[in-house]
Amino acid sequence: MNMVKSEHLTYEYTRITEDANGEVHEKITALSDVNITIEQGEFVVVLGHNGSGKSTFAKHINALLEPTKGTLCVKDMDTRNGDLLWDIRQSAGMVFQNPDNQLVATIVEEDIAFGPENMGVEPSEIRKRVDEALATVRMEQYATYSPSKLSGGQKQRIAIAGVLAMKPDCIVLDEPTAMLDPVGRKEVLETIRRLNREEGITIILITHYMDEAVQADRVYVIDDGKLVMEGVPKEIFSQVERLQGYGLDVPQVTEVAYLLRKEGIDLPADILTIEEMVGAICQYKSTI
Amino acid sequence: MSIQINHLTHIYNPDTAFQKVALDDVTLEITRGEFLGLIGHTGSGKSTLIQHLNGTISPTKGEILLDGENIHQNKLKTKEVRRKIGLAFQYPEYQLFEITVYQDVAFGPTNLGLSKEEIHENVVSALEMVGIGTELYEKSPFALSGGQKRRVAIAGVLAMNPEILILDEPTAGLDPKGRDEILAAIKNLHKERGLTVILVSHSMEDVAKLVDRIVVMHSGQIAMSGTPKEVFSHVEELEQMGLAAPQVSYVCKELRRKGYAIPEDVYTVSELKEMLLQMLQEKGVSQ
Amino acid sequence: MIRDITIGQFYPVDSLVHKMDARAKLALTMMYIITLFFIKSFVGYGFVLLVLCAIIKLSHVPLKFMLKGIRSIMVIIVFTALINLFLTKGEHVLWEFGILHLTIEGIVLATQMCVRLVMLIMGSSVLTLTTTPIQLTDAIEALLRPLKKIGVPAHEIAMMMTIALRFIPTLLDETDKIMKAQQARGADFETGNLMQRAKSLIPILVPLFISAFRRAEELANAMEARCYHGDENRTRMNQMHMKQMDWIAVCLCVIYTGVIVALRFLPVV
Repeated sequence: MNMVKSEHLTYEYTRITEDANGEVHEKITALSDVNITIEQGEFVVVLGHNGSGKSTFAKHINALLEPTKGTLCVKDMDTRNGDLLWDIRQSAGMVFQNPDNQLVATIVEEDIAFGPENMGVEPSEIRKRVDEALATVRMEQYATYSPSKLSGGQKQRIAIAGVLAMKPDCIVLDEPTAMLDPVGRKEVLETIRRLNREEGITIILITHYMDEAVQADRVYVIDDGKLVMEGVPKEIFSQVERLQGYGLDVPQVTEVAYLLRKEGIDLPADILTIEEMVGAICQYKSTI
Repeated sequence: MSIQINHLTHIYNPDTAFQKVALDDVTLEITRGEFLGLIGHTGSGKSTLIQHLNGTISPTKGEILLDGENIHQNKLKTKEVRRKIGLAFQYPEYQLFEITVYQDVAFGPTNLGLSKEEIHENVVSALEMVGIGTELYEKSPFALSGGQKRRVAIAGVLAMNPEILILDEPTAGLDPKGRDEILAAIKNLHKERGLTVILVSHSMEDVAKLVDRIVVMHSGQIAMSGTPKEVFSHVEELEQMGLAAPQVSYVCKELRRKGYAIPEDVYTVSELKEMLLQMLQEKGVSQ
Repeated sequence: MIRDITIGQFYPVDSLVHKMDARAKLALTMMYIITLFFIKSFVGYGFVLLVLCAIIKLSHVPLKFMLKGIRSIMVIIVFTALINLFLTKGEHVLWEFGILHLTIEGIVLATQMCVRLVMLIMGSSVLTLTTTPIQLTDAIEALLRPLKKIGVPAHEIAMMMTIALRFIPTLLDETDKIMKAQQARGADFETGNLMQRAKSLIPILVPLFISAFRRAEELANAMEARCYHGDENRTRMNQMHMKQMDWIAVCLCVIYTGVIVALRFLPVV
């Protein structure tokens, strides 16, 4: 079964702004004809610069937005079907960018309990799920803390735990590291990878940090509301110029390899990590 | 103009259970025209340090001299210092409040009591410096893109005509395009206008590209100080402090370990490319 | 400076009072407050003071901490005292100047009002110091639930309180940051007349409101994404249980109320 499948997904809205002549109605196409299929257990990264439509796509998966045209299904459940709304939101949990604006309760464990409480889960079962979720994100010792006492990375892990307690099959993370420092980013990314590997949860990570995409199973690039690239990281990152055209970066080593290739040095085009770079140079050196 | 920081110590909530030493005997000199990078992970004391420079908080011990004069001596001095040393806080776009971009940038110079002509001059020049065109002057600052908002907010500080500009994490949360625009504007301020710039960041890649000198803060103290070349050659120490060098430094380090003669002063993409190009084109030279 | 304000501060120690069911505590506190306004005699106040002291002792919260609450409303107490002292009309006039007059009745009333206020604050402090905000909101929700039939949105009120408590520290931090940022642009909040000072708040309030609205919108999205849809079919992780101890407390409260009523209406005392 496909975890998430979008067919001809299009989302339009009218933006109303004011100028000297009064109100201006502008039709904005945030997403146009996006076809993406994500399999169960995959680690998928969706890349795009700010305003590219990648967050709009994320909100469709959680049924926070409804397609104007086309469809999006989560586990074959159509997000336009209001009866399935809560099932969809339970299956595809969502973590947002700002860690402060998604925690509801004044105590960490109460916050994690929020989702299952809304779903009407039995109290004793909620307790069990909260403890498990805290253990999974390795925050057990903070169970009774106030969220305001935690670092950004820790808050984000609590937000992830809050979603985990709802027993989702898939977690959508909308730029979860954009507001974090390097330590917080590392914590969150490690947590996400572990969830994917050990718990088998499908991960859809929305980001503009290229280095976060290196370890993904598949990468999608969205630009101006359209799906413009898709493939495994090596396929995507070997197209340095094209990515830069979409306002995106490549890892420094990929860029160096690309620049050297342009100078006629025959290095592989798909270098993504420091080890690959060093290996390729040693190899090259030994052949000449 | 120079800033001399002497034995600066700052303790939050002294003599209570919440006591926290944020700065511990910091001594540092910043000279005119310098482009300084201040790095350190969250809680290392870098934010506390820059807030002292701007007079927003006062030292527990020690002093800061601006051209030989203590900046915390009295309120009047503090006001003067705030004009000379501009501080753009993290996520500066959250300070925007006026109806138009122009009026918002004019807030600072108006507070200084400048004449209308002077204010206009400052606002136009500040917006030009950050690359905001005249067509946006009458727009609401809230209708701009993330990168534009941030540049307008930085212009709000520049409009006070500071001699030293401090930027706290100016690229946080921006996408690559927004980030490059801001960094280009900052580079231009230093190069063309001769402004002394202190860039606080935890993005090593950004810092490596721009600054003359790096000061690394750790647990309220200065852990390292030197040119990017000197600092980035200490990859292990940086990692122990929860920091990382640019990816390029790691490649160099690995290659050195494999026995290649890689110079120590390579830390940007273009430098690495040049160096590798030279090395790989020298045929037949064994390791 | 702005962070010194603490709301609903909880004093984390272990005691009988801490262990009590929050609903019982809230109900008893309300009963206590009502009885305070029922007392007329100083013997009555003496009795309440005795009970209050016993409860404070049981709560294991240091008296110093309790008195902190009094200090913050000292202005109100002094103001109330002065009004009652000088504006109460009575037969036994001791001193008079224009509309001000000092009477025996005034002195009695002023003392009574002050004692009442102090006891009221102390009593409600016991509640907030021994009950976590979350227990308190849960208790409010539970006690208001019967009123749902007449249209009181019990769950929504409790949810609003929870969110407010959650965001108070966040917004205080934010205010601090915005103030510093505007100060760095030469804003002056400390000098000038009242009008100027009020005007100088605009650069703080506008960004603060904008940010609060942005946070509200994002939070609403985040809550919906976590299946929030009001209190329909909603369960709670922490269930409240009335234990034997709580029932004993309720019984003691009935006796206490009886004594107060007796003190008021029985001429013997």
